[in-house]
This record gives sequence, C-alpha cells and structure tokens, in this order.
Amino acid sequence: MDPYIDTQQEELQRAAIEFARGALGGSRVQADREERFDREGWRACAAFGVLGMVIPREYGGLDLGLTSLLAVMEGLGYATRDQGLLFSLNAHLWTNSIPLLLHGTEEQRRRYLPRLTDGSLIGANGASEPDAGSDIFAMRTRATRDGDHYVLNGTKTFVTNGPVADLVVAYATVNPKLGATGITAFVVERGTPGMTVSRCLDKMGLRTSPMAELIFEDCRIPAANRLGREGRGVQVFECSMEWERGCILATCLGVMRRQLETCVAHARSRTQFGKPIGKFQAVANRIVDMKVRLDTCRPLVYRIGRLKDASRPAMQEAAIAKLYVSECFVKSSLDAVQVFGGYGYMTEQEIERDLRDAVGSTIYSGTSDIQRNIVAASLGL
Amino acid sequence: MSVADTIRQFILSRYLPGESPENLQDDTPLRSSGILDSLATLGLITFLEEEYRITIEAHETDVDNFDRIADIEAFVERKRAAQQEA
Repeated sequence: MDPYIDTQQEELQRAAIEFARGALGGSRVQADREERFDREGWRACAAFGVLGMVIPREYGGLDLGLTSLLAVMEGLGYATRDQGLLFSLNAHLWTNSIPLLLHGTEEQRRRYLPRLTDGSLIGANGASEPDAGSDIFAMRTRATRDGDHYVLNGTKTFVTNGPVADLVVAYATVNPKLGATGITAFVVERGTPGMTVSRCLDKMGLRTSPMAELIFEDCRIPAANRLGREGRGVQVFECSMEWERGCILATCLGVMRRQLETCVAHARSRTQFGKPIGKFQAVANRIVDMKVRLDTCRPLVYRIGRLKDASRPAMQEAAIAKLYVSECFVKSSLDAVQVFGGYGYMTEQEIERDLRDAVGSTIYSGTSDIQRNIVAASLGL
Repeated sequence: MSVADTIRQFILSRYLPGESPENLQDDTPLRSSGILDSLATLGLITFLEEEYRITIEAHETDVDNFDRIADIEAFVERKRAAQQEA
C-alpha cells in the first residue's frame, strides 16, 4: 500500500500508466532529435482528463483534487519517455489554468478554462526576459494604459509552449519605477496583432517541449484581459510559481522509479568479471542511493497535494520540494547512466536523455539557488 | 492601536522577527534602506487594504508614499478620509 495516496488514487495512477504505455508509448529518440511536439499525445492526455483534474466541474473539469493529479503525473512520468510533453502539460496547468481559476474574473474563467481543460487551447507563460530571469521583477516589458486597452511592448524569453500556444499569460509593468507593485498580468490570445514568435529556442533537454522567444510590439490587449488588478501581477505570478514548484516534479518521481527498476534489472542481468554487476558494492551502492532519493522525494511532493487540497499555502514547502527533488533527479539520472556504462551513454537506450531532461529541473520555475532564497526568507533570514 | 503602531507591528512580525521595536521608528527609511523590498512592500500594501478596507492603486505605491511609517500612516489616513467622503 502506498503511504502517500489512497486506493482510489492508486487506481488512477495505474490507469495513467496503462494509458501512457498505449497513447504515449514507444521510443522518443527521433522526436527528441527533431524537437517534435506530440500534439496527438497532448489531445490524448486532455481526453484522459489530465488537464481537468484540479478544475471544478462548472468549468469543464473533474474536480478530483491535486493529490489525484500528482498521482497521475507520477504514473505518466513512469510510463512514457516523452518528458517534454509532460513538461508542456505542467507549464499549461500551473501558469494558465490555475492562475485563471484563482485570479480570473468569472467571465475569464468561463471563456478560457473549458478550452484549457479539454486541451483545445494550449497555454504558455510570458514572464522571463533576456535581462530578467531570477530577478524576474526587474522585467522591462511595458504595459501602457490607452482607454479600455493596454499596449504591451517588450520581449519575453524561455516561453515554454511558445511556438504552439493559443494563450499566453504575460507579465508587464505599468511603471518600472514601482518595482513589483507595478507588475500586471494579462491574458493574450494567439493572433493578437503585435504578438509574434520571434524565434524558437533549441534546448539541451525536454526537447519535445517547444520553447520560444515572444515579442510584443504595440500589442493592444483589452483591459478585460487583465488578470487580477493592475499592479498585482506579482500575486498572480507567485500563485502560479507556488503551484508549479510544488507539482511540476511529480512526473520526475515516475521517471526516478522507472530508472530505479531499470537499473536493478540491468544490475542483476549484466555480468562482468564473472558475476552480475549488482554484486559489486560500487554498483549496488549507487542503486541504493537512487532508492533513498526516490523514497525521500515522494513525501515532499505529496505534501503539496495535501496542503493544496486543504486550501492551505505551501510557498516554503513548494520551494523545498522543488529544490530537493530536482537535485535528486539530476543525481539519479547520472547514476542511471553510470550503471549502464557505455550503453547508458548511447542515445538509442533513452537513458542519457533523462539526464539531459533532469538538468532543466534545477533551473526552470526558479533555480535551486532561488529556492534556497525562498526557504531562507521563510525562516526570517 | 494607531495606524503607525499597526504598521510597525506588521513589519516587525512579518519581515523583522526578533528585531527591537525601538529600531523601527516612524522616520526609519524602509524601502531605501532595504528593510522592505518590493515584494515585502506588496505584502504590506495587501495588509493595509484588508486592515483598513481601502483600495491602493499601483501608481500610489511609489517610494513617496511608502518609505517611512509616518508617510505610510499619512497616506492611509488620506485614503480613509477620501473613502469616507465618497
């Protein structure tokens, strides 16, 4: 019995594993090489219910709660090799669906949530800028009020789903001198004149999740598309990041479990110097470390589920989960390559790709250093 | 409790735990000294809106209104008076 999820959630996870083995199964070597986004897989995930599990029924969701979604995400991470697709699903959920649900007007919710939930809209996040990454509130993109519109000018980078997005939650300042209290959030629809994808970005990992740079040039947004109050974009952003940091690594738990099982099987069957390599302490210890990491990561992620299902804040807990799980994920992914040796280093084995995908986890949604800053601040330091 | 003391108590408990109240005077610079960064300022603004049932617009959150407790108190009193008149 799983100590972190109930029997119904275990069943959901098993169903997710079965679903992913079918709809998202097979090798992703070529897709990774070609940076190919799996639109069919996206639609299948939406049809399975992934995008609606934390959305109320009145907006087209299933209202099953966050812990159930985390269990499903873990299952998907275990059963598919397409971590890029799962990353795209996460970006969509935590930067579009949740902020719209929690900060949107009733009209915005009714307009966008049903289509974000059934997968017909793909969401992206426009926050980072070329000179505003970790120092996100130093953003330069300007929003100038003009009657019942805002005019956006600026450049956003590292926009996950950017090339395929139908909707962008974008952040801009109404006055750079105000710092965080000038930042305002907007919902920008694909095709809005003045918003263009300037270039697609080539990445080390998560290559099946498309990423782009966006340019806003005299882009007129109806004031009705402002998300939250003017100057309160930071609240929207922090809400988005709290959920994202706490939840985005649930899929990685599944990958870590798969890596562990694969490494154990390999260490038992691969023979060197006349015995299975698992009988060598150097190899066994490495696999034990992988097991310890997985077992210490899971409670941190499922703690977020419990807190959010109880409508409680989780800023510190989310930063701790993000920091610890991402660092563990990188180490376990490297260990998996080492256990497999030369075979692990070969692209066709799909083991080295987990490592490339894992490195991003210590960077996106705030680097490990930023997570430490958040925890330090929460301790009054 | 005066508005100034309420603000002082909020800042001490939220952003300066363990600090002596004597070190946070009405004329102590808050933003220009780094005691309140822009995120903390936003936290204070949200608190003031809830505590005094006032609405603070983005353009009112500049350093002129939000650098010293005395300035913030004067700003809150002006907002309350304006809302009562309205």
